[in-house]
Amino acid sequence: MSEKPTIEVYKKNIEDRNFQAYKCVSCGCIIAPPSGTCYGCGGTKMEWAKVSGNGNLVSFTVIHIAPDEFQEETPYYVAIVELEEGTRVSARLLGVDPLKPEEVKLGVPLKLDYEKGKSGHTYLAFRPA
Amino acid sequence: MPLKNTNVVSAYQTKFGRLEGVTLREIFAEAVDGATDNAGIPKKDIQAVFVGTFIPEMLVHQGHTAPLLVDYAGLRGVAATRHEAACASGATALRSAVMAIESGIYDTVLVASAEKMTSVSTNRATEALAAAADDEFESSMGLTFPGVFGIAAVAHMAKYGTTEEDMARAAVKAHKNASTNPLAQFQKEITLEKAMTPRYIAWPLKLFDCSPISDGGAALVLTSNEKAKQYTDLPVKIIGTGQASASMNLCDRNDLTAFESSIAASKEAYKMAKLGPKDMDVAVVHDCFTIAEIIASEDIGLFKPGEGAKALREGVTALDGDMPINPMGGLKAVGHPVGATGVKQAVVIYRELIGDAGANQVANHDTGIMHNFGGTGATAVVNIMRRSDV
Repeated sequence: MSEKPTIEVYKKNIEDRNFQAYKCVSCGCIIAPPSGTCYGCGGTKMEWAKVSGNGNLVSFTVIHIAPDEFQEETPYYVAIVELEEGTRVSARLLGVDPLKPEEVKLGVPLKLDYEKGKSGHTYLAFRPA
Repeated sequence: MPLKNTNVVSAYQTKFGRLEGVTLREIFAEAVDGATDNAGIPKKDIQAVFVGTFIPEMLVHQGHTAPLLVDYAGLRGVAATRHEAACASGATALRSAVMAIESGIYDTVLVASAEKMTSVSTNRATEALAAAADDEFESSMGLTFPGVFGIAAVAHMAKYGTTEEDMARAAVKAHKNASTNPLAQFQKEITLEKAMTPRYIAWPLKLFDCSPISDGGAALVLTSNEKAKQYTDLPVKIIGTGQASASMNLCDRNDLTAFESSIAASKEAYKMAKLGPKDMDVAVVHDCFTIAEIIASEDIGLFKPGEGAKALREGVTALDGDMPINPMGGLKAVGHPVGATGVKQAVVIYRELIGDAGANQVANHDTGIMHNFGGTGATAVVNIMRRSDV
């Protein structure tokens, strides 16, 4: 846990279903996706941080027309999720019907999950808690 | 202090749309000729060229476009630099030109822009457009441009009660205005019912909420007070300019119902011009998607946050309304050749202000504002323009 976080490892952690955020060494601010500079204090020293996996739904869309790489997966949700630790991430949203987006309520509690896409990538994902 | 020395003395837009049989450099050259020789401004007077193109590397397999394009357009040897800021490429080129004139380095410069997007497949063009988003943390999970604006729309709908029908009204207005604009890609009115056709691209955005893939070019000549009268009796001054950045990632923004870069850029431009939103007679905003027009009209202060849709519903932003927005038809119906859009927006304001907008002329036309942003608002540029005799 002491090595300097890198984007490569951040992405590999998601592939390995082991999501970890960055944490500013100076002020403790939790940051994800990675930033070279802390939003809170401007610090540039980062370390890894485990997160609770709890969050809530800030906003979302349902993608119907996608680049070739993702077209087979349509329709799929992409959401903005605010983690309990304060930072926001983009993630897939699971456990809700992509053809009934009007039933999805903003603010609902979510739990961290992962999705193995047909594209071969594992996405950061959340589902209703 | 308001800028004092920057005068727009000519402006030209090519036809936008699928331009068969012409390449990037030919579109660019038409725009240059339109703003120089054909407007009575000899090319030999041009001291520098500020070029706007977004991503010709992927669209036409060509980098280093500035010298290539100006050479083809008959300006060999003239200093030329390309400006790239995704959909705000054109306005960043324009802004650099303004700063060059104000600094006194040059008297007369050309801002010229073009994009050729239809020579590749729609999928390839979409892929090229996606390069304006954060590839590692957004695009890589399948978030598209319409998707990002879908997320903004959902947030705006939840906070302010904006509806899909409100957004559709922006499309209906755009098509109506474009129906009398011969340079528009779509010159056909659409009904509200048609605009509401449920062909979802990225829920809640539907086909008619999205601007098209287009070819096109636009150009402007800017010059100092000393030279302006040589070219026209009625120059238009650029009296305020602002630019700001925001995070590339939507998830790094605190408020998804507004674009903070648009707010910051407009504040800077108003402050410089010593004017406010109420002083604007006409606005051109970046309506890459219908929701973007509604949000932009709030971000640049024309309406309070959450009241953009109401203004649209009540006809305030129509061609004959009190605060006309996108009087020629916007990106939505005129087309969106990405690198050319910001320059085209200034062409529209110039034509409206000098009373040269034909069937699309707004009633009051002393002062206008243009808002151009790049990607999902990671770059925003706002310029305030005023007729020199005001």
